[in-house]
Amino acid sequence: MSLLELKNVSKIYGELHALDHVNIKVEKGEWLAIMGPSGSGKSTMMNIIGALDRATEGEILLDGEDIAKKSEKALTNIRRDKIGLIFQQFHLVSYLTAVENVMLSQYYHSVPDEKEALEALERVGLKDRAKHYPSQLSGGEQQRVCVARALINYPEIILADEPTGNLDEANEEIVVELFRKLHQEGTTLIVVTHNPEVAEVAQRTIVLRNGKVDHETINENFTGKIKHITLM
Amino acid sequence: MKKRQMYIRMITASLLRRRSRMLIALLAIAIGAAILSGLVTIYTDVPRQLSMQFRSYGANMILTAQEGQLTQEDVDSAIALIPSDKLVGAAPYRYETVRINDRPVLAAATDLESAEKTSPFWKVDGEWPAASGEIMVGAGVAETYNLKAGKKLTCTFAPETGSDGNEDEVVMDNYKDFTVTGILDTGGNEEDYVYMSREDLAELTGIETTYSVCEFSISGTSDELKVIAEKINGSVDGVSARLVKRVTQSEDTVLGKLQSLVLLVTIVVLALTMICVATTMTAVVAERRKEIGLRKALGASNRSIVGEFMGEGVVLGAAGGLIGSLLGFIFAQVISMNVFNSSISLMPWLIPVTILAAVVVTGAACMIPIRSAVDIDPALVLKGE
Amino acid sequence: MFIRMIAKAFLRQWKKMAMIALTIALGASLATAMLSVMMDVEDKINQELKAYGANITVVPKNSSVISELYDVEDGNITGSYLREDELGKIKTIFWAFNIIDYSPFISTTAVLENGDEATVTGTWFNHHMDLPTGETLDAGIASLRSWWDITEGEWLDEQSSMAEHEAMVGTAFAEKEGISAGDEITLDGDNEKLTVTVVGIFDAGGEEDDIIYVAVDTAQALGGLEGNIDSIEVSALTTPDNELAEMAAKNPGALSVSQYETWYCTAYTSSVCYQIEEVITDSVANVVRQVADSEGQILEKMKLLMVLITILSLVGSALGICNLVTASVMERSQEIGLMKAVGAHNPAITGLVLCEILVTAVIGGVAGFFAGIGFAQIIGQSVFASSISLRPMVIPVVAVLIVIVTLIGCIPAIRMLLKLRPTEVLHGK
Repeated sequence: MSLLELKNVSKIYGELHALDHVNIKVEKGEWLAIMGPSGSGKSTMMNIIGALDRATEGEILLDGEDIAKKSEKALTNIRRDKIGLIFQQFHLVSYLTAVENVMLSQYYHSVPDEKEALEALERVGLKDRAKHYPSQLSGGEQQRVCVARALINYPEIILADEPTGNLDEANEEIVVELFRKLHQEGTTLIVVTHNPEVAEVAQRTIVLRNGKVDHETINENFTGKIKHITLM
Repeated sequence: MKKRQMYIRMITASLLRRRSRMLIALLAIAIGAAILSGLVTIYTDVPRQLSMQFRSYGANMILTAQEGQLTQEDVDSAIALIPSDKLVGAAPYRYETVRINDRPVLAAATDLESAEKTSPFWKVDGEWPAASGEIMVGAGVAETYNLKAGKKLTCTFAPETGSDGNEDEVVMDNYKDFTVTGILDTGGNEEDYVYMSREDLAELTGIETTYSVCEFSISGTSDELKVIAEKINGSVDGVSARLVKRVTQSEDTVLGKLQSLVLLVTIVVLALTMICVATTMTAVVAERRKEIGLRKALGASNRSIVGEFMGEGVVLGAAGGLIGSLLGFIFAQVISMNVFNSSISLMPWLIPVTILAAVVVTGAACMIPIRSAVDIDPALVLKGE
Repeated sequence: MFIRMIAKAFLRQWKKMAMIALTIALGASLATAMLSVMMDVEDKINQELKAYGANITVVPKNSSVISELYDVEDGNITGSYLREDELGKIKTIFWAFNIIDYSPFISTTAVLENGDEATVTGTWFNHHMDLPTGETLDAGIASLRSWWDITEGEWLDEQSSMAEHEAMVGTAFAEKEGISAGDEITLDGDNEKLTVTVVGIFDAGGEEDDIIYVAVDTAQALGGLEGNIDSIEVSALTTPDNELAEMAAKNPGALSVSQYETWYCTAYTSSVCYQIEEVITDSVANVVRQVADSEGQILEKMKLLMVLITILSLVGSALGICNLVTASVMERSQEIGLMKAVGAHNPAITGLVLCEILVTAVIGGVAGFFAGIGFAQIIGQSVFASSISLRPMVIPVVAVLIVIVTLIGCIPAIRMLLKLRPTEVLHGK
C-alpha cells in the first residue's frame, strides 16, 4: 500500500480547473519532486496534500485513510500529526527565537521539549544560532530552522513548497543536503519546485501542466547530490 | 517542559519582543483604563466634594429646645450624635435684647469660630471678634449708629426684675464697653444684629449661658440629615432638631442634577474610550493574520489559537488596567486638587474593577479579529506574498 | 494618478479606512459633545441653583433696619413702602433678560374669629406678565419657593377668578388653628374683614410656616395698604462679583468711565442691584449673600470640573486616534516597501499616506461632529431637560483638534515608513 495516493483528484475554482483528475501514488520513504510552470496546479496540489485545503472531488488516501471528506478539525489533526511543512517564505514567527519556533511545532503536536528542539537544530547545523531571532538569521539559516521545525515531530511526509525559492546557490545546496540526509533516514519527501536542479536530485519527478500530470521521469542514477548546471 | 510553560513563554515573547506594537496597544488600554478609573473616582467623590461646597449655603439643621432654652449639655450631646467627619460646624446662638444709646438692638452670642464655618457667606468688612470686649455689628446697625471698625460703643442690659417681686428696687443696668472689629454684610436680617462672644454676653447680662438655637452645618444628603435629626430627637430629651428645608431640599435638587451630569459625561466618555480601545486592539490583532495562518498550518486548533491570543489580550488588559488605574487616580487627584482644593479618597476596590474592565474590553476587542482570522483558510494565508 | 491611487486605497482597504474614520468620528463626537456641554454648563447650573431662591431683595430705603429688628406687630412701622405700580419696571432694566423670577411681598396682621392674631402676607404665586418685549413671564413664589412642600391641597392659582378669596397657610399655623385645606377662615384686618378659602397648606421648614399667604390685592385690602409693597425678592442670573464689582457696590461714583461701563454692562450681582435701584423709587437692593456668594462659588467649581473632564476626554480621544492611525499605517509597510522599490520618493509616499488619512479624518470628523451634537443634546435633555445651545466656536476648535491629532498620529508611523528598506519588506521576514 502506498503511503499517499491521489485518485481522480480535481480542484475547481469557479471556471478554472486548477487540478483536473490527477492520479498520483507516493511510496513510503520516497523522494518525489513536483514540477511545472506557474499556474500548472503545483501550489493547489501542495495545499491538498498538506491537508491545508480540500479537493473538489476525488479521493486522497493517506495511510489508507481517505482524508478528502474529513472535517476541518480532522484536517488540523492530520497536519499536526502526519505532515511537516516547509515554505518558500519560511514563515517563522518573528518574535520567537529559532529554538522557540521549532518548539512551537512540538507545542501543537504534543509537549514542547527544548532539548529535543535543540537536537533538531543541531541536525540542520544551527545549534549555535538557537537563541537568535529570525531577523538575525540569513535566508538559508531561516529555511534550515523551517526544516528543523518540519522534522521535529517525525511526520510521515515532509512537504516543501519551493524550499529554495528565496535562497542563493550555497544555501540551496545546504538545504538539498539536508533533504538527502532526511531521505537516507527514511523520511518521505515531497518537494514542489520549478527549479530543475532541485527537482533533478529527487528519485522521481512529476511534471504538471494545466492541472494534469504531463509526464513523469525517474532519476536512474539517483544519488541525492545536486549537480550544478554550469553555463559555458 | 510543560505545555503551560511554553504557552507562557510564547505570550511573554510576543508581548516583550514585539515591543512597539504592544506598547501601542498597552497605551490605548492604559488610557482607557485611566479615563475609566479617573471618571469613576470623580463620579463617586463628587457628591462628597460638592456637598462640602454646598456648605457655603450655611446651616442645614437647627436645634431648638422644645421648651425654654438649650443648655450646653444639650448641644454637646447633639454634636456627639453627628459623625465628626460630616460635621462642618456647629454654632449655638443666644439672643438677648441689649441697648446701645438707649435703643434696643438684638445681640447674638455664639462661638464665633464655629459661626464662621456655619455661615461662610457672611461678608465681614474688618475682622471677626477674637478677644473679649470685641464686637461685630450688622451693616444695618452700623448705619443706624454710624459705626465703623475700630469705633467704641457701650452696651447696656436691663436685667429682669428679681423674682422676689421687689419691683421698687432700682436695678442698675449692666454695661460693658466694646470695640467694633467688623461690619457684617449678609443681605439678610443678620445685618440688624450685633455679634459677640458667649462669655461677653454672659458677663453683660449676668446670666449663665443658655442658647435659643444651635445651627449645624452638616455635609450629606437630606436623607442622611433626616436620619441624624431623628437620632438626635430620639436620644436627647427636650430638644427638637429640624432641617432647614430651603438649604437641604435645594441641595438635593442641584446636587442630583450635577451628579447625573457627571454620570452621563462619564458614560459617554467611557463608551467612546472603550470603542477606541477596541479598534486599536482590532488593528493590532488583524496585523497578525498571517501568523494565525501559520499556526493553523502547523496543526494548531482554533481553540488553542484563540487561547493564545486571548492570553496576550488578558495580560495586556491587566497590565493596561493596572497602569490605567494608577494614572486615573492621579488624574482624579489633580482634578480634585484643582477644583475642590481637597484630596480625593482612594477607593481600593476600583483597582481590581478597572483591571477587570480593561481585561474584559481588551479580550472582547481581540475576540472579533481573532474569530474572523481563525476562520480563514490556512492555505490562502500562506500562498499570499 | 495621485487621486486615482488615493481612490484605489479607499476602495481596496475600505474596512481599515472605515475603522480609522470611526475612531476619528468617535474622538470628534466626544470633543464636540464635551465642549458644547462645557460652554453651556455655566448657564445650566446657574438655572439649577435658582432652586435656592432669590439672590436679591429690594426694600424701601428707610425701613431696612427697623421693621425686622423690633419684630413688632404692625410689620412696618416706618411707613415707607415700595410702589406696586413700579414692579413691571424690573423687567425693563439693562439686564432684564437675566431676571428670571421675582415676587413682591406685603405684610399685615389680621385677627381670626377665635381672636388669635395672624400675619398675613400678600404675594404673587404664579403671576402672569406680558412683557413689552412680547415675552411672557410667570413669576411668583410657586417657583421662588421651590423647596416648599405642599402637604395638603395645592398651590394657589392666581389665574383663577377666585384667587382674591383664597389663601395658603403654613403647617405650623394650620396645626395650631386646626385648619385644613378647603376650610374657610375669616380675617379681620385693620381695614376690612374678609373670608378666604384655604386652598393649600405648605411646609417650608422655617418661620414662614406661621404665616398666611394671600394675593397681593387681598393683603392690601385687609391692611388698607393699596398700591404698597414691603419688599421684592428677585432671582437673577448673575456673574460672581470680582474686585471691580465689590468696589462698584460700595460707591459706583468712584469708578472711572470705562470701569463703570464694564461694570454696568456685566451681570454682576451688584450692577443688577444698582440697576434695580434705578427703576424702583426710593429702594435699596441688597445682595442675599447666602445665595449669591454660594452660587458664584459652586458655579466656578462646576465650570472648572467640566473644563478638566473635557481636557481629560480630549486627551483620551487624541491618544486613541494617534494610536490607531499609527497602528494602521504600520500595517501597510509592505505596500509602501513596494512603492519604494518601484522608485517612489519619500515625500511622495508621505504625501500619499497623509492625504489618505486626512481625507478619512475629514469624513470621520464631520460625522463625529454631528454625532457629538446629538450626544450633547442627550446630556442636556436628560440632565437639565433643556437643549444645549451650540456655540459656533466649537466647530473650528474641533476641526483644528482633529487635524492636529491626526497629523501627530501619523508622525511615528511615517518615520517608520521612511526608514523601511524595500528589500527587507519584500523578501518577508
